[in-house]
Amino acid sequence: MSFAIAVLLLQDGITNGAIYVLLAVALVLVFTVTRIVFIPQGDLVAFTGLTLTAFETGTVPGTVWILAAAAAIALAMDLMPLILRGRLDLAVRPLIEMGLIPGIIIALSLFAVPREASLLWKMAATLAVITALAPLMHRIVFQPLVSASPLILLIAAVAVHFGLTSLGLHFFGPEGVRTPGFTGPSISIFGFQFTQQSLGVIACSVLLSAGLYAFFSRALTGKALLAAAFNRRGAELIGVSAVGAGRRVALIAGLVGAISGLLIGPTTTLYYDSGFILGLKGLVGGIIGGLAGYPFAVAGALLVGVVEAFASFWASAYRDVIVFTLIIPVLFWRSMVAPHHEEETE
Amino acid sequence: MIRQILARLPLIALALVVLASLVLTNYRLTLVTYVMIYAIVCIALVLMTGVVGMVSFGQAAFVGIGAYATAYLTAELGLSPWLGLLVALTACGVAAYLIGQMTVRMSGHYLALVTLCFCISVYFLIGNTEVLGKFNGMTGIPPLSIAGYEMRSERSIFYVVLSGLALTSWWVRRILKGRVGRGLRSLRTGGLIAETFGVDANALRMMAFVSAAMLAGFSGWLYAHFQRFVNPTPFGVQMSIEYLFMVVIGGVGHIWGAILGAGLVTVIKQELQDVLRPFLGETTRLDMLVFSTLMVFMLIVARQGIWPLVVRAFAKWMPRPKPVMAIEIGNRRVMPPPQTVVLEAVAMRKTFGGLVAVDDVSFSISAGEVLGLLGPNGAGKSTLFNLITGVLPLSSGGIRLFAKELSVVDVREMCRRGVARTFQHVKLVPDMTLIENVAIGAASLGQKGLLGATFGLDRAEEQRILGWSMHLLQRVGLASRAWDLAGSLPLGHQRVLEIARALAADPFLLLLDEPAAGLRANEKTELAALLRSLRNSGLAILLVEHDMEFVASIADRLMVMNFGRRIAMGHPDSVRADPMVQDAYLGAAA
Amino acid sequence: MKKILLGVIAALSLAFPASAQVKVGIIVSATGPVASVGIPQQRTAGTLPDKLGGQPVQYILLDDASDTSTAVKHARRLIQEDHVDVIIGPSLTPNALALIDVVSEQKVPLIALAASSLIVEPLDDRRHWVFKTPQNDSQMATLIVDHMKQRKIKSVAFIGFSDAYGDGWIRVMTKLVENAGIKILASERYQRTDSSVTGQILKIVSQNPEAVFIAAAGTPAALPQTSLKERGFGGAIYQTHGVANNDFLRVGGAALEGTFVPAGPVLVAEQLPDSHPAKKPGMDFIQRYEAIPGAGTRSTFGAYLWDAQLILNAAIPTAVSQAKPGTPEFRAALRDAIEKVRDVSGPNGIYTMSPTNHLGLDDRASVMTQVVDGKWRLVP
Repeated sequence: MSFAIAVLLLQDGITNGAIYVLLAVALVLVFTVTRIVFIPQGDLVAFTGLTLTAFETGTVPGTVWILAAAAAIALAMDLMPLILRGRLDLAVRPLIEMGLIPGIIIALSLFAVPREASLLWKMAATLAVITALAPLMHRIVFQPLVSASPLILLIAAVAVHFGLTSLGLHFFGPEGVRTPGFTGPSISIFGFQFTQQSLGVIACSVLLSAGLYAFFSRALTGKALLAAAFNRRGAELIGVSAVGAGRRVALIAGLVGAISGLLIGPTTTLYYDSGFILGLKGLVGGIIGGLAGYPFAVAGALLVGVVEAFASFWASAYRDVIVFTLIIPVLFWRSMVAPHHEEETE
Repeated sequence: MIRQILARLPLIALALVVLASLVLTNYRLTLVTYVMIYAIVCIALVLMTGVVGMVSFGQAAFVGIGAYATAYLTAELGLSPWLGLLVALTACGVAAYLIGQMTVRMSGHYLALVTLCFCISVYFLIGNTEVLGKFNGMTGIPPLSIAGYEMRSERSIFYVVLSGLALTSWWVRRILKGRVGRGLRSLRTGGLIAETFGVDANALRMMAFVSAAMLAGFSGWLYAHFQRFVNPTPFGVQMSIEYLFMVVIGGVGHIWGAILGAGLVTVIKQELQDVLRPFLGETTRLDMLVFSTLMVFMLIVARQGIWPLVVRAFAKWMPRPKPVMAIEIGNRRVMPPPQTVVLEAVAMRKTFGGLVAVDDVSFSISAGEVLGLLGPNGAGKSTLFNLITGVLPLSSGGIRLFAKELSVVDVREMCRRGVARTFQHVKLVPDMTLIENVAIGAASLGQKGLLGATFGLDRAEEQRILGWSMHLLQRVGLASRAWDLAGSLPLGHQRVLEIARALAADPFLLLLDEPAAGLRANEKTELAALLRSLRNSGLAILLVEHDMEFVASIADRLMVMNFGRRIAMGHPDSVRADPMVQDAYLGAAA
Repeated sequence: MKKILLGVIAALSLAFPASAQVKVGIIVSATGPVASVGIPQQRTAGTLPDKLGGQPVQYILLDDASDTSTAVKHARRLIQEDHVDVIIGPSLTPNALALIDVVSEQKVPLIALAASSLIVEPLDDRRHWVFKTPQNDSQMATLIVDHMKQRKIKSVAFIGFSDAYGDGWIRVMTKLVENAGIKILASERYQRTDSSVTGQILKIVSQNPEAVFIAAAGTPAALPQTSLKERGFGGAIYQTHGVANNDFLRVGGAALEGTFVPAGPVLVAEQLPDSHPAKKPGMDFIQRYEAIPGAGTRSTFGAYLWDAQLILNAAIPTAVSQAKPGTPEFRAALRDAIEKVRDVSGPNGIYTMSPTNHLGLDDRASVMTQVVDGKWRLVP
């Protein structure tokens, strides 16, 4: 292998790794606050690309209907007990959060996104739809499971992923999409040629991981969210509810997912089921970071990307064997040295 | 009547299935056969995930290794399927042992992900191997045959698989009941309990991991000769996840749950298309959505799975456990004469970086003596306790038990030498009964392992261990609740139960870490009485406590620490009068 | 009017169960990793005629979710619960291979919709009951290799799916290409949902082959090609007929210009000479398929199912004259009749079965096409 090829592979690895970083960071974020391994994060990314393409072709994306159904279910789940208890005065908040806001987004997507609208406008609509999905998902599936064991939460997350995949196939079909993005000449940095798109991906993942790192180690809200993760009762005493924290963090994850989707959509083809493998590789990064540390998660995700690129070159048939076998000792090492933030399975 | 049925549930269920097989159509038989093949893997997962707490996303890979091993041997080399079974089990066992070198030391999501990685690797390895037919798979696997009779018909293979499932459930039930089983069941709360009582937690984890893999291989062997075609798809991550679905839905810690879950998931997935067709149309692709909605719904309704709900519904009629006769074991350790020095600590020192947590502390404890260790918060009591129990290594100094160095041996060996302890934060296995919890303490008194449990050679030993545990429960006054779950006890009783468990190891030296914390006044009185009677029987007891009144009432001598140093030592009255002690306590209080 | 007539026929067939219905079980992979193959077939199933060979037909359509065990469960269900007379499907080679033993023991004819020649070759006792409609991958591969020889291509590189599809193709191609004296410089694999194939493409480009063959199906097949263009590869690119749908053209865009794709005649039915026997059934199929809401354009995968139906249409009259549908005798007669069909023209070619050939397609079943101006063009 010549040096030039090695450079190209490294660059490809970093670009792909940056995608996994985006996933890993979101997974770490959700996990630290809720103990949920949020497998559907990858689906949000894939759905972003599919939604944008549907807007592009002038059809109403299926995700809008998913959003409508999810909002209806979530609203019903919130209102039912209130009606039974006769406390309709408390219904205002759910009505706004799960009725009004999704309603506006749905209405906008249905009527205000004409086929010839500008790309930016369509991207904004896509962003809104996908971001709004995540907290509703949390409300419907994870809020009722709020104090369940990590295993139960993991299984629920996998079930949600299967459900979303099925919906994705139903609405978007089996074929892939490639979304339009910002174009422009490649930029050369230290002899590496980067397209503007991949630079955007890298820049965003750097900014996002740094931002989240700062948010949780510096900002009070961030610390409060973390507190909810470590000690639910205690956090509630100081006014942080686990449910509220979970929903807020789901909202952030949704936003991160949508941004990731918009970023990577033009660089690769996205399918209704792309989410799993993206999520898995992000998860590998996240777990290398002990599902707690952003720097390690970023390093882990990049490592996966780079190993993958080189393995594709050397022995592409065995690529996944190489990637996932090499990951095992790294995980072992991290498991030995990382502080255990996870409690025992129970 | 119901109780009678429940007591013989496995046999009755088996009889029912055999009866049902006579009337079921061939297709139903086939479907049930699939359910049973999956159920074997699920039972393996119950052992590994439900009981031991190791979440595995790689079980399907072991099924695949088993299936391909026998497929290669029989279809390619033309050897007997029975040899295939041997090779399948060996291959799975060896693979699990190798990967287990890492996994048994890992926990939580690391372990889950490693098994997932393993599963993906195996999938692509098989898919790229020419002799295994690559991704297209292998055809022409012969059916099983016994004495020349080929089991081609649905019915005959059904009975083979049924026997396999019955054997599997019988075996797993059996090993979970005995000494090894108690150790395994304690692991879900962490390895510390097992290690404290002389059981190698990693060895147990390995045992569970390898057993689960071999059971999965067994299932794969059945699958290969039943379907007579193998390709990589049924051994991928998707299927591993499905197995986990099955056990979680059924009830992750229960053999019946595994069988129930395998049945539910398989039947729902198979029948869903037909059920949904009238609503969603001929060409629907949404059955997976309905399936996962059902799964989530079941998780929300029955977090522990469905089987525990069933158990609760029938709790009234659950068979009563066989009564256990309290016995005192014969070959107990001979307590040394009073005043013999049991434990001697010499210039113990522990530093964390620049911080000196324990600074040149020396003391000794004799047989028939209670030494109370006191000190304000942060005085170094817990560190000292951890040094003695071997949880932390010494920086310098020494600890000797009967003049033999103790600081160089591991936690398990300490138990064997006669040191037993309790925990500041109670560590019991909440879903095991009181008597079983105590019996964990007696683990080092038994020898029988997996094979002993399998062939029922552990009956006498079990009788001895359980009898001894019952005896100790009587002694601490909990015998009437012997068959309740430890998790249902109030905290005071839990602490007493921990003492009974420590006593079960038949120690010379008992190390108690704040046993009176959180106890009510009358409970403290009972505890004091118990400790006195233990001391009178010749035990040496080290008591770390916060509660000055409580310690002073039972300790023969008191040692007071502050800032990592021993500041006083002697008779309780003189120590309490010591101005330095008063200062430390008042100072700390201020 | 036509509807009423059909209704009357349906009512009559209900009133006279004696004129027994032929039951046809269909297994496709409409969900799971190979949904892009199965979905067109699932759609086509909705357009199948109510009568085959003059007999009323009941179809039972099942989805195996791309899973082998499920395919086997479905097949057993169709045979033992629904008592079907014939099974069409499944869509995938491994799934079809898994059914060989099932149908040969239960003695039910199977018309597979998967490509590998392993399904009907070697034609031993086990495969006695198994037929298939898709062109053998070797048949398509021969077309590609001949085309390469014509263009005097001396070296080639492969890249394909890391699954049964890619593997089957590359296996066949490797043999043919070596026999043709063309050098294989690289043979790479990738995953359907991969976000990048840069590593594989770099390796291929660094070997400097004159042509690249991509063994992939549906839109994922576009990724290696766009990457090749990005790396400035200028040689010929060959795809398989698995890519033959419009989504592929949409996703690949300009990078696909000039790609050679061997396919069943149905892909370019309009451009076939009127004398081509596949033209009429092809046009007929396209018209029906494209009328399905949401189906988009023609699919060669869907056409395999249509072919199977045409074969049954030709075989059922003979079988019915010998036994009553729903009986073992009928299934045996149907198998024999399928083996004897001659010159059945379908969208994918002309089928003439024989005891030594359970596929029965000749070289009229494959045409070379090329992507020109974002459309499929028949290469004369």
